[in-house]
Amino acid sequence: MTQLSRRELLRSAVLAGVALPVLSACASPVSNGGASSAPAAGATSAANPLGFAADKPLEIWVFDGGFGDGYAKDIHEPLIKAKHPTLEIKHNATKEIAKTLQPRFAGGNPPEFINNSGANAMDFGALVQDGQLADLTPLYDAPSWDDPAVKVRDTIDPAAIAFGSYDGKPYVLNYANTVWGIWYSQKLFDDEGWQVPKTWAEFTALCETIKKAGKTAPFTYAGKHPFYIYEAILTLAAKIGGKDVLKNIDNLEDGAWKAEPVKQAATAFAELGAKYLLQGTAGLDHIQTQTAHNKGQVAMLPCGSWLENEQKDSTPADFGYAVFPLPDFGPSDALPYGTMHIQPGEEYIVPAKSGNPRAGLEYMRAMLSKEGAGKFMELVSTLTVVKGAGEGQTLKPGLKSASTALTAAGDNAVWFLFRKWYVDMHDEVAAASGQLMSGKLTVDEWMERAQKKADSIKSDSSVKKFTR
Amino acid sequence: MAEAAISRSRAHVREERRKRLGPLSILTHLALLIWTVLVAVPIVWTFLASVKSEDEIFGNAWSLPASLRFDNWARAWEQAHIGQYMVNSVIVVAFSTFGTMLFGSMAAYVLARYRFRGNRAIYLLFVSGLAFPVYLALTPLFFVVQNMGTIPLIGQFIGLNTRGGLILVYIAYSLPFTVFFLAAFFRTLPGAVAEAAFVDGASHARVFFQIMLPMAKPGIVSVTIFNVLGQWNQYQLPLVLLTSDREKWVLTQGIADISTAAGYDADWSALFAALSMAILPMLIVYTLFQSQIQKGLTAGALK
Amino acid sequence: MNYGRMRFVTGFLAIPVALYVIYVIAPYAQAFYIAFTDWRGVSASPRFVGTENFRRLAGDGIFWEAVGHNLLLLILMPLLTLVIALFFAFLLNAGGRGGTGGIWGSKFYRVVFFFPQVLAIAVVAVLFQQVFRPDRSGMLNAPLIALGLEPVGFLSDTDIAFWSILGVLVWQAVGFYVVLFSAGIASIPRDMFEAAAIDGAGGAQLFFRITLPLLWDTIQVGWVYLGIAALDVFAVVWVMTAEQGGPDHSTTVMAAEIYRNAFQYFKFGYASAMGVVLFFFTIGFAALALRLSRRERIEF
Repeated sequence: MTQLSRRELLRSAVLAGVALPVLSACASPVSNGGASSAPAAGATSAANPLGFAADKPLEIWVFDGGFGDGYAKDIHEPLIKAKHPTLEIKHNATKEIAKTLQPRFAGGNPPEFINNSGANAMDFGALVQDGQLADLTPLYDAPSWDDPAVKVRDTIDPAAIAFGSYDGKPYVLNYANTVWGIWYSQKLFDDEGWQVPKTWAEFTALCETIKKAGKTAPFTYAGKHPFYIYEAILTLAAKIGGKDVLKNIDNLEDGAWKAEPVKQAATAFAELGAKYLLQGTAGLDHIQTQTAHNKGQVAMLPCGSWLENEQKDSTPADFGYAVFPLPDFGPSDALPYGTMHIQPGEEYIVPAKSGNPRAGLEYMRAMLSKEGAGKFMELVSTLTVVKGAGEGQTLKPGLKSASTALTAAGDNAVWFLFRKWYVDMHDEVAAASGQLMSGKLTVDEWMERAQKKADSIKSDSSVKKFTR
Repeated sequence: MAEAAISRSRAHVREERRKRLGPLSILTHLALLIWTVLVAVPIVWTFLASVKSEDEIFGNAWSLPASLRFDNWARAWEQAHIGQYMVNSVIVVAFSTFGTMLFGSMAAYVLARYRFRGNRAIYLLFVSGLAFPVYLALTPLFFVVQNMGTIPLIGQFIGLNTRGGLILVYIAYSLPFTVFFLAAFFRTLPGAVAEAAFVDGASHARVFFQIMLPMAKPGIVSVTIFNVLGQWNQYQLPLVLLTSDREKWVLTQGIADISTAAGYDADWSALFAALSMAILPMLIVYTLFQSQIQKGLTAGALK
Repeated sequence: MNYGRMRFVTGFLAIPVALYVIYVIAPYAQAFYIAFTDWRGVSASPRFVGTENFRRLAGDGIFWEAVGHNLLLLILMPLLTLVIALFFAFLLNAGGRGGTGGIWGSKFYRVVFFFPQVLAIAVVAVLFQQVFRPDRSGMLNAPLIALGLEPVGFLSDTDIAFWSILGVLVWQAVGFYVVLFSAGIASIPRDMFEAAAIDGAGGAQLFFRITLPLLWDTIQVGWVYLGIAALDVFAVVWVMTAEQGGPDHSTTVMAAEIYRNAFQYFKFGYASAMGVVLFFFTIGFAALALRLSRRERIEF
């Protein structure tokens, strides 16, 4: 190393030394308060009802997962660009949302629009708690993209707003709609003469028939991600005991996990796990089990309505994806046949402390247009929360089946929110559920574990509690 | 004398024969072969999987590919930018290893061979770094690098999403290990040559660069190898410091990205092709330089 | 002279110390502070909560499970690695009964054994995920299934997964120590082996009476390396196992719990408290190792 460059390095080190005390102060800058308000609007007009700043860029981060990022690049960004040609759009996509963007929040310069989704998404509870998210009320009260006389609020499924609300305030836009159920191949069922089971007895009988036939395993789930099975357990529990079963669990009520319907549902699935699972299920992930499904190695698996799209590359052309709701458990079920677990999902947020938050809201308004939602639905093959977005679109069989089931469920839609509110509880229940299915935990132990976790979160003062 | 040599060589020959024929020798080779298989098979199998189709990968593990699908490699190369990531890794590791060795040996030398107030404290400060779990520092580190980026003039080269920033961080985090081992090494070097040079009027810096550093070469080489391996395989730090600029990503980020992607897109063949691409150059470079590497490695660690 | 000496010392230390203080010490110092707050990362307002995090930690079963795994690794990983490596190094160099010099093909073995060491740990983890797959596309399970046996849940059975992790770690580490010990054995004067062989010592005796004592220093160095590596295990667990440390926490380690609590639950305060505990474990181990290794060297 030459003398010159060493001196240069020395100088920079001195500079850095001077900067150091400043740095340590900066690493934990003073907060400007917890609750965030709606971002202030600039001048509004008919063309720009949300009053965003046209001279500041709109930075977009899309989760590059099952939906890819093509829908943003090819549908929504051109849509807003056509209306606001001067707005500069910076498109980004990543698979690691939290690792990529969490530091930006901590640094005070988050982007304007984030698709906070996937396995590595940021924790919404923490974001809300720290006032990092923009209130979406101005968006929902704004005139809709297609018809200025109708508010955005009235063009979408109310469940979507409820799902994205924390303590009554909407912070998160859930754009896609997901319906959960048991998926099968219409072709396989037709070929073998199997009937969709309406009761739990029929369901286990069908499993027995399939097992006896010997060619195909009856049932599987994404063993490495046991959420896929506790989802089904909780849905069945709600069907047996009513919507309050899940509400109590979400609200961390004492003994919520030890309720009788939860026990019955867990017992039913534990039996399924003991008798009818595809060999090796516990070690397979969602893609592996779903590919086994496509290859006819297994007959049924629980999943959300994105399944058909996720598997499009490995599904035989005549596979015929279709979905059925959880069967009736017994005659005294609180909810009727057709009850579905719905989950408005694929979350989008506008960081309150970004440079141009109102532009983020405008982008959401474009997404919620008929054109934006309809093309999205067709491209990525999923349901959306925009009413009537599917009209005039040609849907694949699986999506059509899911769409029909969703409509049939109507008010008998159930959901739970603790997965979003308390990620560590989700992890614990998932871990225990995997063990329940492989017979290493009894139903009582499983309930004990979940209840214990719920109780410990309840008593942890550093965690913000939510209720619904 | 000659007689002793002859008898020894005779004994040696006898040994050799016994070694070749004895049952123990067969067992020895068997044991060695088993480990060779354990090591080599997963790697060879990855290469094989890299030319399989998706169906074959999901089929029987031990089936051979029906045809060699090199389009997997093309996909991994084009879509996953493995080549670009590899170049980035080489650039970053070259500079950071050089910096680590330069600054590390300077500090180690002074700490090992000069008495002054605070010596022990500084040495302990460095060595205690060996015990710091890096996961603890990630978030504060992010701010430090971000703030470095705001320094006038040089900031743009050492802030977030710059190779310079990553290189400086690599250097800093490699110092504890480097200083610890090189200081131990410098302590063992004889002082006589240096004394003589001082008597001849050589400066401290000159004694270091021209006498002590060459004498410490075995140690330097082996610590360099450790640092190259460690920095080449580093995953956590670039993940935090080079997030948004894909162009600058290093190889481990690329591999992890494809591995994550396989969960969503199910392009398993491309994953194996990318894995092979990450493995192959390392194996080639290692095989070419293996005798130097092994010599350097052992010279240092055995000292 | 003295002035020049001080200037030299200062000049040589300035850059390394500055880099180290800025990039390593400062972040860690802040992390220690964060351990006493309930900071959740995204916010800019850490609230000081005293020792609350540590009190909570004491009752956190998962974390103690992770600590247990780390301790188990701390004992088993160096032990297995060193025993296997010593065994192969001895075979490679001493050959059969009492011989000296390398066995036939020893160079080849040394090259191949070292291969895993040059692979990035992320690569190794992805690779072994495939080796351990529970269906017939898994390298290990395919033959079992072909024989009509039940596949083994290498990563999905809570009783087995930890051992699979240990296996991968040892698999990667052995080659390095084979090379290291080979060089150590090669540097032992041949006369010693010959003299012992003339005295009628067998292979085992040669190993325990000569090879082992003379390699003792090197073995200790290896033990310290491996011990620190065992406390730092992360990538293999994180990339390879289900539920990242599962199934059901059966493979989790301290580093994984720190990362999970920090970057998934955003409990930076709590995660930092875990980091502080890990910090003291590592310091404790290093101090212990240094104390134990203060032992007379055998000069030759």
